[in-house]
Amino acid sequence: MSALAADAIEVYRTATRNNRMGMWLFFFSELFLFGGLLITRFALWVDEDGHIIRPELDQNVGLIVTVVLLASSYFMNRSEVAIANGRKRDFLVSLWITGFLGVVFLLGVVIFEWGLIQLPFIEHHIGPTDGVFGAVIFGMTGMHAIHVITGVAFIVVVWRNGRRDVYTEERHWGVEACAIYWHYVDLVWIFFYPAIYLIGHAVH
Amino acid sequence: MRSNYRRHFLYAGILVVVFTLVIQWILDLSLPLPAIQGSAQSAAIDNLIGQHVWLIAGAGALVLVIMGYSIVAFRARPGEEDEEGDYFHGHYGLEIAWTVIPLIVVAIYGVIGTQVLAQVTAPQDNEMTVEVEGLQWSWRFAYPGHGEFQTTEMVVPVNQPLLLSMSAVDVLHSFWVVEWRVKQDLVPGIVTELRVTPTEVGEFQLRCAELCGLRHAYMLADVRVVLQEDFDAWINEQLE
Amino acid sequence: MLMQLGLTRGLIYQAAGTVLGMVVAMVWRLLAGMELWDQEVVFVVGGLVGGFSFMWGVGAIDDWLEWCRGKATPLVHGPPRDKPAWTRYFSTDYNHKVIGIQYSVTSLLMLMIGGSFALIFRAELAQADLQFLGIGMYNKLIGLHGWAVIAAILLGVGGMANYLVPLMIGAEDMAFPRLNAFAFWINVPGALLLLASAFLGGFDAGWTAYPPLSTQGSVGYQFLFLAIYFVGLSSILGSLNLLVTILTMRPKGMDLFRIPIFCWAVLATSLIQLTATQAIGTAFLMGLSERALGMGFFDPEGGGNPILFQHIFWFYSHPAVYVFVLPGLGIISELLPVFSRKPLFGYRWIALSSLAIALVGFLVWGHHMFTSGYSQYLRIPFMIATLLVAVPTGVKFFSWVATMWGGRLRFPTPMLFTLGAISVFLLGGLTGPILATVASDLYLHDTYFVVGHFHATLFGGFVFPFCAAIYFWFPKITGRMYNETLGKLHFYIMTPAFWLMSIGQMTVGTMGMRRRIVDYDPTLGGGLIEARHLETTIAAFLIGLSILIMIYNLVTSAEIGVRAPANPWRSRSPEWQIPSPVPEHSFAAPLQVVGEPYDYGLEEEYVVMDESQAGHTQAH
Repeated sequence: MSALAADAIEVYRTATRNNRMGMWLFFFSELFLFGGLLITRFALWVDEDGHIIRPELDQNVGLIVTVVLLASSYFMNRSEVAIANGRKRDFLVSLWITGFLGVVFLLGVVIFEWGLIQLPFIEHHIGPTDGVFGAVIFGMTGMHAIHVITGVAFIVVVWRNGRRDVYTEERHWGVEACAIYWHYVDLVWIFFYPAIYLIGHAVH
Repeated sequence: MRSNYRRHFLYAGILVVVFTLVIQWILDLSLPLPAIQGSAQSAAIDNLIGQHVWLIAGAGALVLVIMGYSIVAFRARPGEEDEEGDYFHGHYGLEIAWTVIPLIVVAIYGVIGTQVLAQVTAPQDNEMTVEVEGLQWSWRFAYPGHGEFQTTEMVVPVNQPLLLSMSAVDVLHSFWVVEWRVKQDLVPGIVTELRVTPTEVGEFQLRCAELCGLRHAYMLADVRVVLQEDFDAWINEQLE
Repeated sequence: MLMQLGLTRGLIYQAAGTVLGMVVAMVWRLLAGMELWDQEVVFVVGGLVGGFSFMWGVGAIDDWLEWCRGKATPLVHGPPRDKPAWTRYFSTDYNHKVIGIQYSVTSLLMLMIGGSFALIFRAELAQADLQFLGIGMYNKLIGLHGWAVIAAILLGVGGMANYLVPLMIGAEDMAFPRLNAFAFWINVPGALLLLASAFLGGFDAGWTAYPPLSTQGSVGYQFLFLAIYFVGLSSILGSLNLLVTILTMRPKGMDLFRIPIFCWAVLATSLIQLTATQAIGTAFLMGLSERALGMGFFDPEGGGNPILFQHIFWFYSHPAVYVFVLPGLGIISELLPVFSRKPLFGYRWIALSSLAIALVGFLVWGHHMFTSGYSQYLRIPFMIATLLVAVPTGVKFFSWVATMWGGRLRFPTPMLFTLGAISVFLLGGLTGPILATVASDLYLHDTYFVVGHFHATLFGGFVFPFCAAIYFWFPKITGRMYNETLGKLHFYIMTPAFWLMSIGQMTVGTMGMRRRIVDYDPTLGGGLIEARHLETTIAAFLIGLSILIMIYNLVTSAEIGVRAPANPWRSRSPEWQIPSPVPEHSFAAPLQVVGEPYDYGLEEEYVVMDESQAGHTQAH
């Protein structure tokens, strides 16, 4: 390895270290956004006696989209490990599956949870105007969905670049950033799902 | 060390004491509370503000005097343009002192503040409830227990502890009679409470103290504090 | 020529983007079977698309778009090759010094716009009754004044931090230069939306925009919410950048307790901006969606709670106050040793007190809401926490006067402003505990006393130190000295005028003058209230005049001022060890720290340049 190349690797490592710190600081910042939404949920979803309540929602939808999102995180991890070990095909396939599952999650949220598209076999939906239940559900899932959409866009960009051999074993910060972002969005859902679907007495 | 600090400390110390008194006097003139103490709560709050003014005067004098003294005594005189100051960059004892002493002062003022708060919000035995309703941009009052009627002026007996049970129809408002000192917001959807005991007979003005839209500045109502017998007569008048 | 400027392109793109966004929203509504026109939704989508179109037009995302296409873009520093050098100040440029100046100039501009709004309604308040300003106009101007100057302060803080931090720690640039440019430019569409809201009916609930009033008013609120979203995004990204820069890009030997003290202030500030800003974003987003989509977060009809907004809002907006003042306090700590010719007294205590203020600042938001109707008992912990802020603030004051004690003080304009800042911030700080104590706040809350208090803290914590910083670093930025006589004139007009104004505001407040009213009862304060208001108005106009003198001084001195030497103040800080004005690549060689930053009176240096490494620039 020439001295110049070694220098370039060193520069890349320094830059990646800074990038990584920046990314985590960004997550730290976002913590306050999602935390604010969670606090809103626990402040508004209480009855007169101060008991925590929740709306009656279709538990199957919640469980399925959660499983789909968790599974996508597994493939995202596979994808990152693959590129770090130079297995390019593996990397692209896993990334593709992650993106696909992300889209399935989004469709699940939009069609079944929000009911934006009318389907004959779904009867009743809470809308955004339905009091605090509607406001909080749409506020939380909406903000989360915006992050998932960004994440899917990120995956598409990384996938396209991956096909053009932009990433190597040593240099794949783009993949790493995409992966930790995806895991982060996933992690947020792990807190949101029980807050919306599980905690408190169900009220109709 | 070139400077005789002991002498400087002495002069500055004397000046701090003098200026504490001077600033206190200036602040007393600059912060004129309304002359009428119209409620049992007024005196306690005025005293508390007075105590804080002393704190402002004392701490203000301390910093301003040392700063002003340094400006005069430690200025670079002609011929000293290239000179450097005395070399010292810290003193643990001092730092700890001016961390701990303010901490103690804060604790004292915290205790005083809590006591006064407890005093001005304490429930009384024989409270009379008045229902206050705020809406853009007027006030309505009801007297539960005295009959079914609503008024646009507030009439209450003197020396009678009041429990104001307040609600807002449209947006936030705030109940404030300057002479009574205390203040409380009215919030749509919840009932807020304010305790006050008028002690001065007279005519006062209720002003909305929370921006509530176009005519917020003019959201006023007359408040009359009257003798008990006048109040009873007024109630009878309303019932007719 | 004009079309070559990124700014012009950005503005055109923003206009086009706004229209496009509105059309898209309408078409979407039509396709979804809704009525074509819903101003709330249409303006929100338009404003949002317009804002990001501006960023595209100005060129702030060009490199990132290239990255998305898998192309690496080298970071080129220096003036544009095919255009005059001055155009870089109106286009996307990645040099932190250019960005710092862009921030600062925009800040001064917004400060003057915001100040002018204040002068208009101050003139109205000079007498009781209505004179020339309608009630509705007054209610809109107060909110607009508030947000315009808050944006100005955030920009000014960003300006000082961006220009100074890399120079002070001897870094070539910020950690993320492109993000830095993005964070600046996003303020421009934000500011435009803010000012444009005035043409959509404005927002008449004051800068705090409390619901339900804010969810009922005109569509101007939506532009306010979007504007603050953009400005907040700038805060978050800018602070993230500063944190990484300070934490990772220091030269050899500069441990955290050897950085110039201003960087500590920026560190503490950035921690607040990074986190708390999300809260106001959340609060305003809820307000926005309640208006646009009918999501009833704050609507009591469906179980919503108006007080929740206040909690989230103040969770940002109280720490935000420390964002406004901590950098200014850092400037005071930075300048005092230079002009006292003495080491900074208790460096570590001052550094950590900034951090302490920032952290305690997260636990005190409830003191804005003592009368709001939340739990009675919670008011006491909020009172105690708020009073505790006095302790680290006191440490700063005492350390400052101890720094001056025994020095050899000199009084050029920057030092005068530093002293002015201390005195004014003292007034603001000391009037804090009286408001922090619940019982006295029950009287003073929402009166002009509060107005006097926070104007004193913001002038003492931002405006005065900002002026000091401008005069102090003017030679380093332009290579020329400012006019000392005009600088002193500015100081000797502004300081007494400010004292008069601020104390005047407090006086009418204790007399019983409410905040945010266009008209007041002239019988208050024994009939003396009108005279106090007149004085306050005159003082406010004098402050405006003094700012104009400063602008004149800066503009003319940049052209005809005396050439400045590299280090006119004999400062030890790194930025004064390089030529004035600062060259494109600030440091010819990497720095090495060999001493303490404020050891005035000692022979040894703070930093030296490692000449053996000359030409080796840090990479990104």
